[in-house]
Amino acid sequence: MSSHSHVEGQLPHEPERATLEGRNKITGFWLFLGGETVLFGTLFAAYLTLRGQIMDGPAPNELFDFALVAVATALLLTSSLTSVFSMQAMHRHDVKGLIGWLLVTLVLGAAFLGVEIYEFNHYAHMGHTFSASAFSTSFYTLVGFHGAHVAFGLFWVILLLLQLKQRGLNTTTAPKVYLFSLYWHFIDVVWVFIFTVVYLMGKVG
Amino acid sequence: MAGHEQTTQRSDVKTTKQEGSKKHIIAFIFSILLTFIAFALVMAGEINIDFVYILLVVLAIVQVFVQMAFWMHMKDRGHTFAIIAILSGVVVVFTCVIMALFWTTW
Repeated sequence: MSSHSHVEGQLPHEPERATLEGRNKITGFWLFLGGETVLFGTLFAAYLTLRGQIMDGPAPNELFDFALVAVATALLLTSSLTSVFSMQAMHRHDVKGLIGWLLVTLVLGAAFLGVEIYEFNHYAHMGHTFSASAFSTSFYTLVGFHGAHVAFGLFWVILLLLQLKQRGLNTTTAPKVYLFSLYWHFIDVVWVFIFTVVYLMGKVG
Repeated sequence: MAGHEQTTQRSDVKTTKQEGSKKHIIAFIFSILLTFIAFALVMAGEINIDFVYILLVVLAIVQVFVQMAFWMHMKDRGHTFAIIAILSGVVVVFTCVIMALFWTTW
C-alpha cells in the first residue's frame, strides 16, 4: 500500500537510503555534524583558555566527582550501543525491535541527563555557580551545551517513537530514525572529549 | 512520490546478508577499555603530567575513531562526503584549540 515500497510491498534492506530524499537527508545531516564539530570545538577552545581562572571558586581538581562522571560516561556509551542495535533491527525490518531499542536508548539518555542535573546542582552548592569565575562559566557553557543536545535528542526520539507507532517503518520514517542514530553517536563522541579534556585533565591539574 | 521505485532497485541485491552485532559489541568493549585506562591513568597519579596529557588525548582520539568508523559507519563505502564534512570541522577546531593553547601557555 505504501507508494515507497520496493518490490511487492517489500522494504529494501537499507530503507533509509532507498529514496533520493533519504540519501539527501543523510548528506545534509553530515554537513550539519561538521558544523556541530566547529560549535563544540570553539567551546572547547574557550574552556581551555579560561579554565585556569578560578577566582574565589573551587578548583577543578577539588570539584569534580569521579564516580558521577564514570556513571554518566557508562550510561551514554551504552545508549550509543543500543542505538546501533536499533539500526540493526531496522535493517531486519523488525519494527518491534527498533522501537524497543530506541526506548532503551531513551531511558539511558534520560538517566544520563538526570546524573548531569544532579552533578550541576551538587557543584553549584559547592560555590561553582555559572557566574563564579571564568572557569565555571566556560565549564557550564561547554558541558551544558552538550547536556542541551542530549535533552534535544530525547525530545526528538520521543517524536520518532510516536511516528513509528502511527505510521510504521517505511522509506519516509526510516531516514529520520537513521539521522537520530547518527546524532546520538555524535553526542557520545563529543562526550569522550568532554570527559577527557574537562574532567580527567581537570583532575590531573 | 511514486517515482522512487526506480531508484531503490540497485542497492538491495548485494546487501541481503545480515550485519552481525559482534563487531559493534567489540567496539563497545574496546571503548569501555579505553575509557577505563584513561580513568585509571588519572587515578594512579604520581606520573609525569605532560605524559598523562598526551596519553589522554591519544586514548580519546582512538576511541572516537573506533566509534565513528563502526557506529557511524564512516569506514563503509559512500561516506566520502561524511569524512570531508567532519574533517572540515576538525580543521577549524584544531586551529581554535591551538590558538587557545598558545594564548594560555605563551
